Amino acid sequence: MEETEFDDILDDWFIESLKTYKDLHVYQLEHPTQVIEWTSGKTVCVAGFTSSKNEILELRLPLKLFADENKGLCAERDFKVVHGGFTDAPVRCLRHIPGTRCVVTNDGLSSDLQVWDLGGDDSDVIRRTGSVDGSRGVSEGGSRIAARLSSQPQVLHGAESAGVRLTQLTSGQTVYTLETDSADPLSSLHFVSDAVFLAGCSNGKVYIADTRTSAAPQLSPPPPSSGESVLWWTDASAGPSCLDPSSCRIVRLSSCGQTVISDLRNPGGAVSRAQLDVQTRRCNADDVRVSWAPALDDCIAVSGFSGAVQIYSSSVWTTELQEAQPLFEHRGHAVSSQSDDGVPVFVTSHVWHPERPRTLLSAASDGSVHVWDWVDQSAAGC
Amino acid sequence: RSCILVSIGGKNIMLDCGMHMGYNDDRRFPDFSYITQNGRLTDFLDCVIISHFHLDHCGALPFMSEMVGYDGPIYMTHPTKAICPILLEDFRKITVDKKGETNFFTSQMIKDCMKKVVPLNLHQTVQVDDELEIKAYYAGHVLGAAMVHIKVGSESVVYTGDYNMTPDRHLGAAWIDKCRPDILISESTYATTIRDSKRCRERDFLKKVHESIERGGKVLIPVFALGRAQELCILLETFWERMNLKAPIYFSTGLTEKANHYYKLFITWTNQKIRKTFVQRNMFEFKHIKAFDRSYADNPGPMVVFATPGMLHAGQSLQIFKKWAGNEKNMVIMPGYCVQGTIGHKILNGQRKLEMEGRSTLDVKLQVEYMSFSAHADAKGIMQLIRMAEPRNMLLVHGEAVKMEFLKGKIEQEFSIDCYMPANGETVTVTTNPSVPVDISLNLLKREMALGGPLPDPKKPRTMHGTLIMKENSLKLVSSEQALKELGLNEHQLRFTCRVQLQDPHSDTDTLHRIYTHLKSVLKGYTIQHLPDGTVMVESIVIKVSSSTEDPNTKVLLLSWSYQDEDLGSFLSTLLKKGLPSGLC
Repeated sequence: MEETEFDDILDDWFIESLKTYKDLHVYQLEHPTQVIEWTSGKTVCVAGFTSSKNEILELRLPLKLFADENKGLCAERDFKVVHGGFTDAPVRCLRHIPGTRCVVTNDGLSSDLQVWDLGGDDSDVIRRTGSVDGSRGVSEGGSRIAARLSSQPQVLHGAESAGVRLTQLTSGQTVYTLETDSADPLSSLHFVSDAVFLAGCSNGKVYIADTRTSAAPQLSPPPPSSGESVLWWTDASAGPSCLDPSSCRIVRLSSCGQTVISDLRNPGGAVSRAQLDVQTRRCNADDVRVSWAPALDDCIAVSGFSGAVQIYSSSVWTTELQEAQPLFEHRGHAVSSQSDDGVPVFVTSHVWHPERPRTLLSAASDGSVHVWDWVDQSAAGC
Repeated sequence: RSCILVSIGGKNIMLDCGMHMGYNDDRRFPDFSYITQNGRLTDFLDCVIISHFHLDHCGALPFMSEMVGYDGPIYMTHPTKAICPILLEDFRKITVDKKGETNFFTSQMIKDCMKKVVPLNLHQTVQVDDELEIKAYYAGHVLGAAMVHIKVGSESVVYTGDYNMTPDRHLGAAWIDKCRPDILISESTYATTIRDSKRCRERDFLKKVHESIERGGKVLIPVFALGRAQELCILLETFWERMNLKAPIYFSTGLTEKANHYYKLFITWTNQKIRKTFVQRNMFEFKHIKAFDRSYADNPGPMVVFATPGMLHAGQSLQIFKKWAGNEKNMVIMPGYCVQGTIGHKILNGQRKLEMEGRSTLDVKLQVEYMSFSAHADAKGIMQLIRMAEPRNMLLVHGEAVKMEFLKGKIEQEFSIDCYMPANGETVTVTTNPSVPVDISLNLLKREMALGGPLPDPKKPRTMHGTLIMKENSLKLVSSEQALKELGLNEHQLRFTCRVQLQDPHSDTDTLHRIYTHLKSVLKGYTIQHLPDGTVMVESIVIKVSSSTEDPNTKVLLLSWSYQDEDLGSFLSTLLKKGLPSGLC
């Protein structure tokens, strides 16, 4: 067999993957997505972000992934498009409202939100059912969105710290508004309990607020070495299911790769820090994601700086800023990228499976979506 | 099961004649009562077309042709014609011999059915009769699978059968030209899926094989001679070479003989790579893969064996299976669908105890893996095919309407065409806009062209007058005179006359002159003449003036025009009724 045919069939990454992944699924969407959002234990929503017409799709993950006992007898490896809909604007942020068949999106052009009904068994069309007004007078950058299970469907949203509001979906009424001294652009919003939430700002500040009170929020200032043009992203571990919100931890990641972990009990301090090796490319605020693993201790996933998703174990980090090596790197998107225009592919989004410890989904700028279950090769660790 | 009836331009065509593999009774056959309640189907069908050899597309063919009754032509590609009878016979053996069914076709019926087959070549137009023509296109999917273009007059339909838009290791991708059919009929089973990459499926296969070999187990891969066997062999060979593995890989000789024979026959149906390989050497000449001898099955240690038949229902693969089933280190990998009644089907349904001949039971302890390598088009593939063929309407079959509304909307939006999704037993009527070719006589064409002025404007539509004569199968457009002549009819002239009263104190001659002047100023561009015989003529319209006997100031205008100038005549009479303007001299 010729050399080129050899490489064609089996490349290093492919061979390596036999040992480094338990499960691996590779899909190609017609258009890339910047959002992956769980709508149930087996379904996710993805959506396009071109400037004109886009699709919102609810995909059911392959049955083979979940067939634990009789896995061998299940041949189903494909995504099933269970619901689909159309929108005329890009989808930059998409959030599922727990306990409903509703998702809320933002187009990144204004702070208003669009409300959608995903549909049930009687139809496979996702329909627009309404909208939620954002704060007036917001310039660029779209809204961040967060939601948690509640008796009345509610959505927390905002583009800047001043003006984050909690809106009742059915009535459109605002039941809470965050008031801060300065209007800092947000990079994320997270609920840590039914009432307590974090507003992570791109300048590194984190506000901790309680929707039950009108008292001023707690402010965690940006980590010390933050500069002018440095952007920050945040994630909080243990969501609304966490019984004791004060045991939640916050991770902050900067555009230079500096990572700081703090405890909610002492948000100004740092429990540990690390310097991650992120090849600084033109960093698009929209693409970077940092997330805690929901079912693994101390594991963080980082993406958006390149065509890889990196998994770190923060248990070995100390308060001294030191370089950290990833526990695992998913290079699938970069390796199998088919972009011809010379622009390297980069990961646009990733999510952890809520229950399966090492299963993640990741999407990239070439439209690829991967579902992977990685093998922890280290002796100790997650 | 696939079985679609199309009525187009007065012709009736049956597309595929498949068996439903899930039923054991008559529900597995298509319901032919939609064609006729009783009796043979020959008079009701102009032809039958089979897209490929999978049983859900051809499994009911012998039943239809020999038990219900059909003697007309059955079209299919050469590979399909060669492979169909083998699968049908295997299927018959399993159903009748193993399951003891009655109401089923016999071996002789399969032979008689295949005698009615007319083989098709790719891209070759075949005249079924002088009005109906068909053409086959490459569909990928399996060896010999075709998409069919059916044309009657100016109306056409394309039926895809099963196809795929991404090439794989031994077949190319489906291809069709911009034939713009009125309807494109496609399966919708996979329309709402997004396929996992081929690489991941292969990775899974290699992972499983490797894991078994590493623990010292034996791997059995039952294959159909013309399925994925060749592809999987190439994959394993490359892997073995790369990983420097030593465990032996075998394939049963029956497999290689058959495969080589068919590939040689149908080399044009495979893809470039296979063709290159084949030209250089025998298809199954591998470094690490050797011919199997049945004594090897008892050799100790790990090994991989490819053996036929694919569903473990008889022969070598079953023999090997019986030997290896009792050891949990071993593995069997089923690369495709298994018909009910076969061992393959049973173990894929989780059965761990099998009843064998002579009342003995077999404990199935080895690992059973079901891997699907079949190539189908998904949502993206359907959109690609529509882009290629540019149909005017889309028809999706075998899906649930409520589960396909999104796809329907997507197709309608992107291509601005209607998308239909009929349920089984439902009829869809699609109105087309057929073009009707008509011959126009040269004289008529010249005459009409002359009327428009010196240069005709190609963008401007024009009304023309002519007579359409339909004689036998031809349509002709000729001038009225010619039509009358051809039909041997006399032409009658129709002339209208009208009297208009006018108050005018001048003499008759002067009044006429004034009328002439008036008309000349109003009707610019028309031919107006003041004739010496005392009349004014506008085109063919004649105007005469005379005085009323009672009052010399009351003039009576006599207007006369032929039927052709009726509009102008009416206009003139209305105009003149208004009287003459005072400023005229």
